[in-house]
Amino acid sequence: MDALQIANSLPMWIACGLAVGLVVVQAAVFAKNAWSAGKKMGITEKQMKSAVKSSAITSIGPSIVILSGMLSLLISVGGPMAWMRLSLIGSVMFESIAAGIGTSSVGVQLGADALTPEALTMAVWAMILGSIGWVVFATFSADKMEKVQEKVAGGNPAKLMSIATAAIIGAFSAMSAQHITKLNKNSIACILGAVIMGALITLGEKKNIKWLKEWNLTISILAALVITVLI
Amino acid sequence: MNDFYNNEYMPKMNRIGKLTGYLGVVASFLPAIVLAVVYGLTPNLGALPTVAISVVSSFAVLWFVEPISYYPVVGQIGTYMAFLSGNISNMRVPCASMAQVAAEVEPGSEEGSVIATLGMATSVVINIAVLSVGVIGGSKVLSMLPQAVTEALNLLLPALFGALLMQFGIKQKSHAIMILILGILIWLGLNAGVFSFLPGASNYLATLVCIFTSIVIMLVKSNKKSA
Repeated sequence: MDALQIANSLPMWIACGLAVGLVVVQAAVFAKNAWSAGKKMGITEKQMKSAVKSSAITSIGPSIVILSGMLSLLISVGGPMAWMRLSLIGSVMFESIAAGIGTSSVGVQLGADALTPEALTMAVWAMILGSIGWVVFATFSADKMEKVQEKVAGGNPAKLMSIATAAIIGAFSAMSAQHITKLNKNSIACILGAVIMGALITLGEKKNIKWLKEWNLTISILAALVITVLI
Repeated sequence: MNDFYNNEYMPKMNRIGKLTGYLGVVASFLPAIVLAVVYGLTPNLGALPTVAISVVSSFAVLWFVEPISYYPVVGQIGTYMAFLSGNISNMRVPCASMAQVAAEVEPGSEEGSVIATLGMATSVVINIAVLSVGVIGGSKVLSMLPQAVTEALNLLLPALFGALLMQFGIKQKSHAIMILILGILIWLGLNAGVFSFLPGASNYLATLVCIFTSIVIMLVKSNKKSA
């Protein structure tokens, strides 16, 4: 059997499907518990629904970007692995690197040479070994880091909130800085996204426009994209 | 109310997180097991150590640095979810944050944690749904897209990050601008190869430094205020 036939075979779909299923089950179980906890804690159903809706709207764009990354991986290591790797632990940036490390260990250049069953096996192992470190460490340490953070905040809820807000600003600053320093269209898109968002937030608050709050992120991104492509 | 969150909800979520996380590690090996059992394809034992070493030297720093860096951003339950599903910076963090904005809850509060969990779960489901449709539609889907659309796709994440920075930075302009400048300086250094002595893909440096500098400055400021 040729390597890609194996890579796209039914047993591989089943194996990868089980793994992807686990991620969906985790999300569903967490969401169900969070929903009922939210009700008990006095969060209104309206708040929770708007959270879900807003997250769904925000998800669509990045999902399509991840999809386009998956398609290149799909050609090199087959559908099931590409699908699984980007649904479980994976990151669109690293999977091709890991797959390439695997195939080159047996002398096959990913994307250039024809994939052999041996190279496929090594690619699969490299992608697995490369990815499990994240989930092992994160799963092991999540509750321990919670204790560290509580110590830092000294049990002060206001401090916990400012830590989280500061962290979010830090994260998005780093990500924006990465694109701004590319000095190409990415920089323009990033700055435009920020400027348009700032204008919409100010407008929404001044005129008290509720619907704008829900859609300002989508409008900012789309407007930034269109303007950047046109220049 | 507080007791329910700390004494019932969090311990339960913690158990679910541990169980599903470790199951995820096991599930990761399923395709390798299928290759071995169904097709008799076991890894080349001569090449496997090379692969392991390359993979460890490329990624191992990230295994530790990313969960630590993103912990204050996504919290305990968010850490379980974000690292099992992956695509943290480009998907989980933006979705959890926007869910909190929409529900008007504070990041870092108990309500914020519940809402972030709902937001992240939603993004996991949509992410997997889109990928599933895409993997069935295959490469035909992408080749059907006009070039302007694929070009625009590359610009989506930078625009998203810029807009989100504004969303959270607008209330603390000088702080956000300072951290952004710090990020830009680090990236200029990274691009110039100043930090290439660091192990692995040193791209994590900007995220790590920006997040923790931002936290330290914010804490120092709030201590001054309360003193």
